[in-house]
Amino acid sequence: MSVDALDSGFVKGQETGSFARAGVLRRLARDRVAAVAALALTGIVLAAAFAPWIAPYDPYFTDLTKVMQPPGAAHWFGTDNTGRDILSRVIFGTRNTLMLGLVGVIVGGLIGGVLGILAAYYRRLDGWIMRLVDVMLAFPAILIGLAVAAIFGAGLAAVVIALVVATVPDVARVARGAAMGVMGQEFMEAGRAVGVSDSALIWRYLTLNCISTIFVFLTLRFGQIILIGSALGFLGMGAQPPTAELGMMAAQGRDFLFMAPHIATIPSCAIFVIVLAANLLGDAFRDVLDPRLQT
Amino acid sequence: MGQQIVHRLLISFPALLGVLFLCFCLLQVVPADPAMIIAGPDAKAETIAAIRQELGLDRSIPVQFFEYILRVLRGDLGRSIISNRMVSEELAMTIGPTVELMLGAMLIAVPSGLALGTLAAVNRGRLSDRVIMACSVAGVSMPVFFIGLILIQYVGFKWALLPFTGRTGPVWDGGLPSLILPALTLGAVLIGPIARLTRTAVLEVLGADFVRTARAKGLRETVVIVHHALRNAMIPVVTLIGLQAAFLLGGAVVTETMFSWPGVGRLAVGAIVSSDFPTAQGAIMILAIAFLSINLLVDVLYVYLDPRVRRR
Repeated sequence: MSVDALDSGFVKGQETGSFARAGVLRRLARDRVAAVAALALTGIVLAAAFAPWIAPYDPYFTDLTKVMQPPGAAHWFGTDNTGRDILSRVIFGTRNTLMLGLVGVIVGGLIGGVLGILAAYYRRLDGWIMRLVDVMLAFPAILIGLAVAAIFGAGLAAVVIALVVATVPDVARVARGAAMGVMGQEFMEAGRAVGVSDSALIWRYLTLNCISTIFVFLTLRFGQIILIGSALGFLGMGAQPPTAELGMMAAQGRDFLFMAPHIATIPSCAIFVIVLAANLLGDAFRDVLDPRLQT
Repeated sequence: MGQQIVHRLLISFPALLGVLFLCFCLLQVVPADPAMIIAGPDAKAETIAAIRQELGLDRSIPVQFFEYILRVLRGDLGRSIISNRMVSEELAMTIGPTVELMLGAMLIAVPSGLALGTLAAVNRGRLSDRVIMACSVAGVSMPVFFIGLILIQYVGFKWALLPFTGRTGPVWDGGLPSLILPALTLGAVLIGPIARLTRTAVLEVLGADFVRTARAKGLRETVVIVHHALRNAMIPVVTLIGLQAAFLLGGAVVTETMFSWPGVGRLAVGAIVSSDFPTAQGAIMILAIAFLSINLLVDVLYVYLDPRVRRR
């Protein structure tokens, strides 16, 4: 092992995998399903990011002369019970739904990652952190969402907290597992022997070598997190009307299911497409970056 | 084996305490004063103080928590603010339907998942394998309510084949038709993951020496697959079913709300919407305890299924 590699703690070609590994993108592109999923997800993210410019109508503008119109030329996805354009609402709703998922995964991933890595590095913290994780695992995400909504009232904040709490324990377990593997490697011992500080060992040696495993796990979780978020929205614990959020839109459409099924079906389809693309891409990432996570 | 189960029980204890503490907090941090809600908007200060004392709200938090645990152990979860019935009574009425729904969902999901996964593994690489796996990815990506909406729209409303609101009674008393659509909705989400894992597990086992031996003995292929391969592949699948318990409970909350199924999940959602905190905490506690119990049960089952765990 070269001194440079030891110094950076980031060993190329290490079996834990790294983004630096050549050809990751090329291998992803070769997988046709993954390429289509990536393209779809990019399109969805771009549409959500530029929603105000892309949406053909104001998502909150009600027009009582055009209620419950089926999909057509003027309104591609039809209109809802108050005459709002569903396409525009789906675009804005996707924005909110994706934001919820991203915040949940990023914040939960950070907290869980830190907990898992600390548990692996400081053995005396291990028992405490893992018990905490066990307790957190005792609460299914939907229940946390319900509890938080009961305490602070329904709203996007309740959903975000639920999604973060749902992400933390699983990520902590995966991060701990990956970090334990790295802890057994020679370069950790070598780093200690040459007097590298704890913080440098944790960040440069341990974290950087675990990050691809955590990343792959988070991409695999992203779809599920979106599903949980939209289920909470559907239950009325998340975004409140008139805010557009896909789960809540589906719930609102449920009341008109027999008269205008498209109001509930189209937002549900949108969730399905987002989650499907995320899952397919997550699977492809796993196969390329970290095949050991395969179930 | 007994020792392992005791050990597992000991591990669940802190989790159970955590659940109780969080439910207790739920009653503590609610923005409104429960005494004021019970007394009503025009109540005098003395009435509120009397109710506070009666509820024990004037004592310190640790004492209140201890008293809360004692009350829970006695089965006293307080009184619903809305219906004025005991929360334990409300729960007793709703637990049955929830268990029925979850069992129904499992009865649909587990056999179909196992069958589809095995079929895919046996036909590895062929069209049927690809179709099953594609459907399983699609199934995993589908929101529970989407499946419910489709079933309500077509099977329930358009074709009028089955009822889609409420529960007409217990399964043994003519309630089966009303159970089918909710159970199918909830079960459908589980078929995908079970099929996927079964396929992986069966593929792994099919390459094992004992399967080759079984084939070499001249056993019929169905016997090899069902008795030798599938049985050994069950171990990871049982774990997965345990891991899916959270999903199942969450899905049950959504399914019950959709189909107006009178279960604990619907009770919880209704209680939260109407700020009925005693009922909400009772329902959430029961759901969390149910989740802990399912996981415990799966671990015990795991010990039973895998002799290697027993010997360790």
